[in-house]
Amino acid sequence: MGTKTPDGLVRRLLESLDHRAVITDPVRLRTYECDGLTHHRATPGVVVLPETAEQIAAVVRVCNEYGVPFVARGAGTGLSGGALPRTDGVLIVTSRMRRILSVDVADRRAVVEPGVTNLAITEAVRDLGYYYAPDPSSQQVCTIGGNVAENSGGAHCLKYGFTVNHVLALEIVTPDGDIVELSNTDPGYDLLGAFVGSEGTLGIATKITVRLTRAPETVTTLLAAFDGIEQGGQAVSAIIGGGIVPAAIEMMDALAIEAAEAAVACAYPEGAGAVLIVELDGPVPEVTHQFDEVTRICRENGAFELRVAADPAERAAIWKGRKSAFAAVGRISPAYIVQDGVVPRTALPEVLASIDRLSREYGIRVANVFHAGDGNLHPLVLFDDAEAGAGERAELVSGKILDLCVEHGGSITGEHGVGVDKSRYMPKMFSDNDLDTMQLVRCAFDPRGLSNPGKVFPTPRLCGEVPGVRKGVHPLVESGQAEQF
Amino acid sequence: MDAPHETGGAPLAGALHRTGVTIREAGPDDAVAGVSPRWVALPENTGEVAALMRVSAEHDLAVTPVGGGTRLHWGPPPERCDLLIDTCCLNQVLEHASGDLVVRVQAGLTMDSLAETLAAEGQELSLDVPLDGATVGGVLATAVAGPRRFRHGTARDLLIGVTVVLADGTTAKSGGKVVKNVAGYDLGKLFTGSYGTLGVITEAAFRLHPIPDDRRWIIAELPAPGTPGTGAVRGDGRPDAPERPGSPPGLDVLAAELAASQAEPSAIEVDWPDARGGPVVAVLVEGTAADARARAVRDLMAGHGTARITAGPPGWWGTLPGEDVLLEVRVPPSRAGGALRAIMARGLPAHVRGSLATAALQVTLPPDVGGSAFAEFVSRVRDDLGRLGGGLTVLTAPQELADRVDRWGPVGALPLLRRVKERFDPGRRMSPGRSVGGI
Amino acid sequence: MDPELINDCVHCGFCLPTCPTYVLWGEEMDSPRGRIHLMRQHVEGTPLTPEMAGHFDACLGCMACVTACPSGVRYDRLIEQTRAEVERTHVRRPDDRALRAVVFQLFPYPRRLRAMRLPLRLSAGLRRRIAPRLERINPSMAAMAELAPAVPARVRLPRRVEARGRRRATVGMLTGCVQGEFFPQVNAATARVLALEGCEVVIPPSQGCCGALSLHSGLQGQAERFARRTIAAFERAGVDTVVVNAAGCGSTMKEYAEILEGEWADRARAIRTVDLTEYLAELGPAAERHPLPLTVAYHDACHLAHAQGIRSQPRQLLTAIPDLELREISESSICCGSAGTYNLFQPEAARELGDRKAERVLATGADLLVSANPGCTMQITSAIRRRGAGALPVAHIAQVLDASLRGLPGVP
Repeated sequence: MGTKTPDGLVRRLLESLDHRAVITDPVRLRTYECDGLTHHRATPGVVVLPETAEQIAAVVRVCNEYGVPFVARGAGTGLSGGALPRTDGVLIVTSRMRRILSVDVADRRAVVEPGVTNLAITEAVRDLGYYYAPDPSSQQVCTIGGNVAENSGGAHCLKYGFTVNHVLALEIVTPDGDIVELSNTDPGYDLLGAFVGSEGTLGIATKITVRLTRAPETVTTLLAAFDGIEQGGQAVSAIIGGGIVPAAIEMMDALAIEAAEAAVACAYPEGAGAVLIVELDGPVPEVTHQFDEVTRICRENGAFELRVAADPAERAAIWKGRKSAFAAVGRISPAYIVQDGVVPRTALPEVLASIDRLSREYGIRVANVFHAGDGNLHPLVLFDDAEAGAGERAELVSGKILDLCVEHGGSITGEHGVGVDKSRYMPKMFSDNDLDTMQLVRCAFDPRGLSNPGKVFPTPRLCGEVPGVRKGVHPLVESGQAEQF
Repeated sequence: MDAPHETGGAPLAGALHRTGVTIREAGPDDAVAGVSPRWVALPENTGEVAALMRVSAEHDLAVTPVGGGTRLHWGPPPERCDLLIDTCCLNQVLEHASGDLVVRVQAGLTMDSLAETLAAEGQELSLDVPLDGATVGGVLATAVAGPRRFRHGTARDLLIGVTVVLADGTTAKSGGKVVKNVAGYDLGKLFTGSYGTLGVITEAAFRLHPIPDDRRWIIAELPAPGTPGTGAVRGDGRPDAPERPGSPPGLDVLAAELAASQAEPSAIEVDWPDARGGPVVAVLVEGTAADARARAVRDLMAGHGTARITAGPPGWWGTLPGEDVLLEVRVPPSRAGGALRAIMARGLPAHVRGSLATAALQVTLPPDVGGSAFAEFVSRVRDDLGRLGGGLTVLTAPQELADRVDRWGPVGALPLLRRVKERFDPGRRMSPGRSVGGI
Repeated sequence: MDPELINDCVHCGFCLPTCPTYVLWGEEMDSPRGRIHLMRQHVEGTPLTPEMAGHFDACLGCMACVTACPSGVRYDRLIEQTRAEVERTHVRRPDDRALRAVVFQLFPYPRRLRAMRLPLRLSAGLRRRIAPRLERINPSMAAMAELAPAVPARVRLPRRVEARGRRRATVGMLTGCVQGEFFPQVNAATARVLALEGCEVVIPPSQGCCGALSLHSGLQGQAERFARRTIAAFERAGVDTVVVNAAGCGSTMKEYAEILEGEWADRARAIRTVDLTEYLAELGPAAERHPLPLTVAYHDACHLAHAQGIRSQPRQLLTAIPDLELREISESSICCGSAGTYNLFQPEAARELGDRKAERVLATGADLLVSANPGCTMQITSAIRRRGAGALPVAHIAQVLDASLRGLPGVP
């Protein structure tokens, strides 16, 4: 058969799962070959669709029994290949675990299953005057389980923080199949904090207790159009320097605006070389004051048009262009790479200028969409996959952008995660000692290396190995990392 | 420096000295929860800490890192302690990128001097620390937090990067100096609350906030127990509600209303020194228009007691209720009132203080409360809190009291905590036994 | 299946939560992204397996994914092409084939449908007794029996309805097969509303099925024949604008120029198809709106909301009626499970979706459900009936407007 999983594995899986929850048909399996990052593909050995934590624990125990790796997947929207399956392993898909188990406004928390979408939480509590603060652009699709794995951010994390700041407790299935509760009120090491953002390498979250945030008294969304990125960047510096922490500050350059315009007709001001979206929220008197400040700063820095959303519909219209920007570049380019890097915010102008130089040097267009408030860049590297060598050049530019980020003291990923895509960049940011120390955590949770192996870390040692001598590519890493093109 | 008194043999002391780090012999003031080390080292940078740890590894020395020493008596005593690594000389601000709202410091820097540096640029680390002289490293290792945890979270929420030295002398860092960063595991989280049992924190980077334009406190004294018609004081440990129409709503209701208030308070604290009196609730609002927002909060509190607005905090704000016996209580936010009542109804002279909104409360008892009374108190309150979905830990208590109780209560993740400890410190040389379950 | 169209998909997954079958089953293969992946596999050489065909058949064609797609993937074209490919190359099970034959020889032919009316009326009383047995024998037949509404008396529409007051326009009107036979009162209301708003309405008697059912089921040839006949009928009637009150028909007619080729494509382009609500909103009100003290829930028909992008106009027309309160149905963009012939071919899924929709419709607490598509109306009504809840009246928006314009005390 096409799969590389051991005989008997499927039979054992069927002892705890309905036959409709175990996928073995090769055509069906292939639809799971990649997540949102399509240039890494691997057809999973088996796909399971569990509905309870106990079923996940049972699957993980069967994997342990056979020494087979497993990978968890939510909606498959990740952009770093974090849910890339293993050809020799089991893909555990949480898309059927999408119950909101409880909403407790008095405790400002909700308990949900991992397959619940990020936005579904907000929708469930909106009428009660609350929302779930982290808002990745894919929030209507991406699952909370995936958010926990990736420590997802979003436009509003400038003021409100990331997934890790909003998860209060987790029920996890450990890599050896135990169900364990982690809570932020537990004494001892912050295992909850370490688990969030571990990209599925420390186990699978099966129940998530999230913090609900009170909807602010007022929200003001402002769109400012500038001639170019420089003025926009100066405005951002002046706003932050003025002691204002907006809920979000987002910037798009001319090319990104063009794409968004083509996709969703967002009708941003004509002729804008850059638009800045600033969102302020909080008590009315504070927002009023900040709004006056922000508009003054934008004007002083050359904004030629300012629009203020008068109602939720207009607010949504302003955000629509921004939130659809990634997929929208499909309208202006046959192929593209979404990059995710971080620089200290004050280094933005310099880094953007360098990206522009790279773009011209290699003849590769780069559209810039970014969370300007926290220096999180999302350069969209555009190329034509039909043109010989264009893909390689785009990869090169994309990689050089990450080099720029590291040189400026930033990070190779702000919110998309390392996954399979960026593990090779980890040594640029971290020393062997740093990576080995992180491996100690991995080995504590997953001594057999079965939970999403091959992600995050380049050529990790096995947990039993004595530090010091490195071997070649380990077979555990080598297999399953199918075609990379 | 002169050669130390070489009780451990010349080769050992020599090895320590050859690191080039200032070493002195330990004195009685250097005891860690009653256990005296043999030497105290005063390193000035991460490299020196690593050198010390390598020597310690070679000679099987048990090590305890210490900052300001303000909480050295917290937690159980270490199983053994040979070397105290005093971080007092690791006290530099490495980088304050004010435009990025980020600071990078050495771990021995005191929170006070950090605040001073940041204030010069109109910024602050929004972490209120209850003790004078506490260092950055100590605050992280003990995971203490103050009133504004309600708005800004605790140390783990503001920490964006750490450098640590492990038991074997390996220096490792994680995170960085940008706020947004998901590359690799977050070792900073792991070391937060580690009580020195995983390694030595030598450097840390934090995200900062601008110092708010203005601040106001709204303080309300709530009626004492037994006052007719108040729901605030039922001693049954259940969340209360107005008992009859027109009666003032209780503490739980007040807490919920304040937490949900559109005035966006930064902190909602309670202080209840004596079961015969009533609790005091104090709320902090910060930022533009603090005054207008304070009035809104005052109006909200008016039904519960006499509320007044002040420009400064009440004297007890952001401090611990006691020194010698200190317990920490955690319950879901809506159960804070129930937890308070359960504690005050136990008949011991308890004093409770802490964050009402996040339901993280500290309880103190007189040190002479007596072993059996203390043990019964801990066990009964733990039962009450268990029913409310919470728990209790003993932060500190005189040995004779602490010996009679389980300091931590049940922790579901203990096997995982143990496995982490085993990987980081297989020789059990880092503050062994100082944290949960003797890790 | 056009590989170019397939390549437009960047695999972002934004379509997943809008897809009814993904909502039901949570499987990649039953999501638009997964189906496009299957199409890609087939284009790249994987033979069309029964499993593949099953996942394509399970698609409702609701087009919610088209609305949600930020990359502009033409899933509507892709699934039509795929269905044609399935019909060409896939050998269905005999019982499946037989059922399809019945449906496609019946529904698109008004006269044959009319012949069915008597047996249906007879069966109305028997329905409850035979339903369980029918369910066991053939769920699709059970679904068909369950769906059929009580059949009203026939309404004969004139060939031409004069405008009331000043004539503002002349328009053609499509009567449709299911609408015309099962909901003739809707057509009557549509004609009256148009007339009251100052339109002369031309209703060619020779019109038949517009081809929607065939097109959405991969019967390309039948669809093209119906399309050409419909175009010819309205050409003869001398109108250049055709008003349609059935969402599925409207969306198909708007696609004629793409379905047909050469001269016929040009002739298709010369006729403008508009939905009733789209047209009325564009025309602006002329007649007086009388109050209707009703709480109304508006159901977005997929072929209106997704295929034609018409969401605001019906709401606008409803809220303009004095005393009428409009309530939104949660999850409004998810299909009710009717989807043309879907409830006949995929009865279990259709039933689950119908139940889901009924639950959300009832949660609004509205007095009246407004639906712009006969298929949706039948589907939701039968789901509400199944729940055993008190029947919720359902009306077409034309009937609500008609009642308001004529000053009736309620919607008949």
